[in-house]
Amino acid sequence: MSALMTLLAPILGGFVYGFERVLRARMQRRQGPPMLQPFYDMFKLMEKRTIIIHALHVVLGVLHFFLLWVTVGAIFFGWNLLYVIFLHLFSLIVLVMAGYSVRSVYSHLGANRELLAMVAYEPVLLLVAVGFFLQSGSFEITAILQDSSHLMQMPLLFIALLMIIPIKVKKSPFDVVEAHQEIVGGVEVEYSGIFYEFLYMARFLEYLFIYSFVFLFGGDSSILGGFLVLIVFFLINLVDNATARVRTADMMKIVYFGAISISVINLVWMVI
Amino acid sequence: MELIALLILLPLIAALFILFSHSNILQYLVTSTVFLVSSLSIHLFAFPIPSITFVFSSSLETILVIFDVLLLLFFMYQGHLFRHRLVFGLALLQLLLYLLVEANLGSGDGFSLLMDRLSVMMSLIINVVGGIIVIYAIAYMKDEMISPFKKRLFIAYLLIFLSVMNMIVMANSLLLFFFLFEMTTLASYLLIAFRNDELSRTNALRALWMNQIGGVVILMGTLLAVTQFDTVYFDVLMSHSGGYLLFAIALFSMAALVKGAAMPFDGWLLGAMVAPTPVSAMLHSATMVKIAPFMILKFAPVLAGTLLGGVISISGILVFVAAAYTALSKEVFKEILGYSTIALLGLIMSLAAIGTEDSIQLAMVLIVFHALSKALLFLAAGVLEKVHHVKSIEAMKGLVQYAPKSVFFIIFGFMTLTLPPFGLFMGKLFALQAVSENLMHSPWQIIVLLGIIIGGVLLTLLYFKVVSALLSKESDLQVAQSETLLLGFSIPLLLLSVLIILASLWLFKTHSALPMSYLLVPLLLLLVIPLSYRMLEGFDRTTEYHCGEKETFDSALFYFDMSASLVRAMYWVFGLLFVGIALAGVLS
Repeated sequence: MSALMTLLAPILGGFVYGFERVLRARMQRRQGPPMLQPFYDMFKLMEKRTIIIHALHVVLGVLHFFLLWVTVGAIFFGWNLLYVIFLHLFSLIVLVMAGYSVRSVYSHLGANRELLAMVAYEPVLLLVAVGFFLQSGSFEITAILQDSSHLMQMPLLFIALLMIIPIKVKKSPFDVVEAHQEIVGGVEVEYSGIFYEFLYMARFLEYLFIYSFVFLFGGDSSILGGFLVLIVFFLINLVDNATARVRTADMMKIVYFGAISISVINLVWMVI
Repeated sequence: MELIALLILLPLIAALFILFSHSNILQYLVTSTVFLVSSLSIHLFAFPIPSITFVFSSSLETILVIFDVLLLLFFMYQGHLFRHRLVFGLALLQLLLYLLVEANLGSGDGFSLLMDRLSVMMSLIINVVGGIIVIYAIAYMKDEMISPFKKRLFIAYLLIFLSVMNMIVMANSLLLFFFLFEMTTLASYLLIAFRNDELSRTNALRALWMNQIGGVVILMGTLLAVTQFDTVYFDVLMSHSGGYLLFAIALFSMAALVKGAAMPFDGWLLGAMVAPTPVSAMLHSATMVKIAPFMILKFAPVLAGTLLGGVISISGILVFVAAAYTALSKEVFKEILGYSTIALLGLIMSLAAIGTEDSIQLAMVLIVFHALSKALLFLAAGVLEKVHHVKSIEAMKGLVQYAPKSVFFIIFGFMTLTLPPFGLFMGKLFALQAVSENLMHSPWQIIVLLGIIIGGVLLTLLYFKVVSALLSKESDLQVAQSETLLLGFSIPLLLLSVLIILASLWLFKTHSALPMSYLLVPLLLLLVIPLSYRMLEGFDRTTEYHCGEKETFDSALFYFDMSASLVRAMYWVFGLLFVGIALAGVLS
């Protein structure tokens, strides 16, 4: 089961992404693309002529996708949560290096912002993991999923997690990393054709990665977990439609003074 | 017993030989010495012999006293020569304290040298990593504009220093420890001032007076040990309890913070970066400053669960965060590495001061991997300085274009400091686990937890910010140059890289409950993907997309400067914490 899920992860993510585009369109009273649009995009991109800047750039981009795939697989296999977070960091750093490896302004700006965003969300992810540890006595995802729901004990950590999800799925108000209108997509800008597809699919995997954290809050009840994911998914898109992008520095302040402080308060409350 | 003597005497003898021999055979002499002492310490590490000890005869003790007084007089002379009142005053204070200690000396017997698990591990790092650095130093000094004798003198200094370091990690007598501590201060002073210009002289003097504060507190602690517990031996002292024991330990720990350049003493380590790169690598990163966590580790069993341990742990972790943040405002590559060293030493001391079995293990693991990775980075920085004449990261923009190999080593070094599957990352992972486990019974450790997390991300930001300058490569339409590294440079760099990988594998296998597949999956990916390089030859190349703008590209590095008032506040906090350690020692 886990092996199958891992193998199909990019496709699964593609469906999530397609569903999200439909949902957002409906929120804006548009018709929107069909659910399978991400896959149509894929076929289109594969037919295009691919031109590259240099080999290192491409290799790093592809490596980013595969590392992210391994990360998501590690979640499905129930590995150690801290290790999963660091694997994710690894894949992100590879993407950042890809962004830095070309002499392109937008790519560099995007990579800078990726790094800063990492500084913002990484502590929250780790603190949430510590919260799970305090609850279930283990960092293993399989163990975390055997406990009853963690939501009652970790409400503030849950809110903190909600605050950083937009960073990872690149949604307003925290979509500075991508910011199409300012920096033409950031790191993605220098990729084309089939290699752009790898980055595109990496984004699906990011969805799976971050929403798995929400799922973990359900504990042993996968129904509650699934329900939480749905609610959060809806909420994030609602917020995306209702807010404007904030500047990077403001994002850092909001995350540090908001999300990280409430996480710490929650943890202190849990240990005392 | 003979093994200890060999570890200490071999480098000394080699140093003597080098001074009076021809430069041609220099590399053979050094390489064989390094090979010998490294194999010795590997042997000791692999086949542990339960506590080897050695007692100094009274004549040796007398010689030690003479050397000590001479050394302090030399410091006073330097203070007088360069009209530096602080250096002079602190040396005088130490001399008085030293005489006071000698006057109160009891008749208690003990071991002068004692080799335990900790010292075996430290000597392994010193001889292997330090040895590799000495070999590198030969190539580094080759085209320095100084006489051949001075070059040999430089190598001899480094070898003598190896011997001093081997002895300091085995020292069980407080007086011997003080003498060797002062010897490392002397080594810092002489080697920072090696180029003998005005900047190096000022920085050397700063290093001297700051480190002398360490000497002063060690002597105060020794005085306390002598008067209260009637002993000058670490093992006897630590078998006592109550009384002023923790106060004495607090004083020694303060010396550790000074040696580890923990804030507010970060100035001296930063200034030390003007020294030739092998010195920075050996003294100010890989080996000498490791005395700081080594001392805390030595006291860890006593510190566990005390107020004093808590205060040291919190100061350490605050140093970790503050130094990582300060490094973000620096421009010179070696200064960035220096601050990252200060930061990681803070982390290691913090973990050591927690004092549980797990955290002690961890601190040791971190010491090993930090020594390996930092040595690699410093040696690579040395190559950049020597061959490509770049020091500042601003000058490193697009370096990969003409120095791909050096850049590879630097990026590899950064990755080993932050990412799985390498050792230092694993250390951080275990640290998070260990601290989380402690949270339930000691909630204050949430500060340590938060520090590890935030300091960690700041360091990641720091390292990869530097990569942004290094890695910006022209399109394949431009032909990149290849780089030929001297063998004297590439062999040490390669050796260190291989050691890091082997040690990571070893650590994963022996120290973690995680299955091996965790490590192998990402490692395999790393190996397989670059093989696809060939497959990319069929694709057309293009130049970058500039949205129609005509401006030339310039990879913009970002810096985070702290306001002057914030910096001042920070130093006040750390100064108070430093004093707070003594206070905590009295209270607990």
